[in-house]
Amino acid sequence: MRHEEKVLAVIAAATILVILALVSFSGYYSFINRMFLAGILASLVCGVVGTFVVVRRVVFMSDAIAHSTFGGIGLAFLLQSALGWLWFDPMLGAALFALGAAVILSMGWTRLSVREDSVIGVLWVIGMALGVLFYSLVDPRKVSLISPESILFGSILLISEETLWMMLAILVAIYVVVFFLFRDLQILTFDEEHARISGLNVPLINFILLALIAFTIIALIQLVGVILAIAMLTIPAAIAGTFTDSLKSMMLSAVTVSLVLTAAGSFAAIAMDTPPGATIVILMGAVFIAVMLVRLRTHGGGAAARKGA
Amino acid sequence: MGAEHSFQERGAKRSRSAMDEPAISLRDVTAGYDGRPTIEAITLEVEEGDFYGIIGPNGGGKSTLLKVILGLIAPMKGAVRIMGLPPEEGRRHIGYLPQYADYDKVYPISVWDVALMGRRSRRGISPWYSSEDRRAAEEALDAVNMLDHRERNIGKLSGGQRQRVFIARALASRPKILLLDEPTASVDPEGQESIFALFSELNKEMTILLVSHDVGMITTHVNKLACINRTIVTHDEPVITPEMLQKGYSCPVDLIAHGDVPHRMLRNH
Repeated sequence: MRHEEKVLAVIAAATILVILALVSFSGYYSFINRMFLAGILASLVCGVVGTFVVVRRVVFMSDAIAHSTFGGIGLAFLLQSALGWLWFDPMLGAALFALGAAVILSMGWTRLSVREDSVIGVLWVIGMALGVLFYSLVDPRKVSLISPESILFGSILLISEETLWMMLAILVAIYVVVFFLFRDLQILTFDEEHARISGLNVPLINFILLALIAFTIIALIQLVGVILAIAMLTIPAAIAGTFTDSLKSMMLSAVTVSLVLTAAGSFAAIAMDTPPGATIVILMGAVFIAVMLVRLRTHGGGAAARKGA
Repeated sequence: MGAEHSFQERGAKRSRSAMDEPAISLRDVTAGYDGRPTIEAITLEVEEGDFYGIIGPNGGGKSTLLKVILGLIAPMKGAVRIMGLPPEEGRRHIGYLPQYADYDKVYPISVWDVALMGRRSRRGISPWYSSEDRRAAEEALDAVNMLDHRERNIGKLSGGQRQRVFIARALASRPKILLLDEPTASVDPEGQESIFALFSELNKEMTILLVSHDVGMITTHVNKLACINRTIVTHDEPVITPEMLQKGYSCPVDLIAHGDVPHRMLRNH
């Protein structure tokens, strides 16, 4: 392990320990404690999967998956209301729609003369429109309905203990898959043609990557909601991508960046009494813009001047 | 060094199993995309030990030819054999160097990890590369003189260095055949000369098939030459014939004869 990686690992571990200590001894309300714990779990997931999203340039494909989950959540409430299926959890609906979107997106539409970004746009709006439609059909007296606003933008009041266990399960599953498929995901995202020539099952690995993204999004929407999930998935990895030169150190950096910014954003939200999801995302966005400006100053000036000349 | 040693080992094995099968054989192959052929009636035999050059203009079907050999697209007509095997099986004997333009230059990956990628064709369930994989990658990087750069990021290398790393990736699988697609595009002239010197060295141990639109460098190093422009004109010496020019290659004669080439490229006619 190189020196910078050790420093990052120490920062990540320290952040986790500080938050755990805080959760144990601070006397915060339990829902605030759960927010901090959800922040740790979300960061550990998004840094790893977000790295693949950023290097493979599938940010908007991932966002289509995120938005499609709203349809699944609406469907879950409709099934609860119309059929009395109270066991049909909103997150089960979200997972079904996210996986469905992943299947559709991995079907290789380009060779059928259907453009990929068109598919992305259509899945995105259909998911949202279905959610709105299903919500309108729900009888609110029959189910404990969660407001669309809380689903879309996140609400820390929704983070229950079961939510945390679910996020932990997703985290473990994703780490196991990435551990075993790391080399293949690396080859796929670096050089797809080489993956094919090596005899790897490219469509399958591609689908597995999208399924990893789908489950990551399920974990992230607990904390920041459907619309802001893409920010946690991509901004820490995008920041990490500007200063790392290997996939593993990019993952470690993205996890660390996310841990620190999620914790800082959560504190800021408590102090200013603002929505945590939006506060975390704005902080991440601000840091990303700052990184862009620094790059522009240190590297971009010459190139821009040359282009202008 | 270690690399040469292992290549020699394989050389010995090759002569023992000296099959009558050519390294690469295409018989009357027509292929293309969406039912429209980009290459037609291609018949080509690359013998073991050849350094075979194929030149052709951009859009002349060079990439299609390589994709057919690698089994990435199935021919509409005709048969392809690699070491006597269908391409899907035979391609494990091939080390492939794709065109430079295909890589993501900001991808966070080291020289070492790129070289190791060449080993993935050896299947296994272990999530790590084996010590044998690491030894092969090390030998391959050593053979292209890039072992000292193993920790460096691929995006921070010069064009020539980067090309050497991808040649190492192709060599890491210890192939019998090297397939090279425009290997010296975006490499400066000095780097080009040393890369071709490397190919000549490697050719002592393995068969090489090289495609390029650049006529100059090729003809001084290969031992066989063909021109492809939808159809193919082959020749058993590295000489461009008038027939090639008329039928295959629509390149102006003075461009082809230009430069201080150490032998005649055009026969008297």
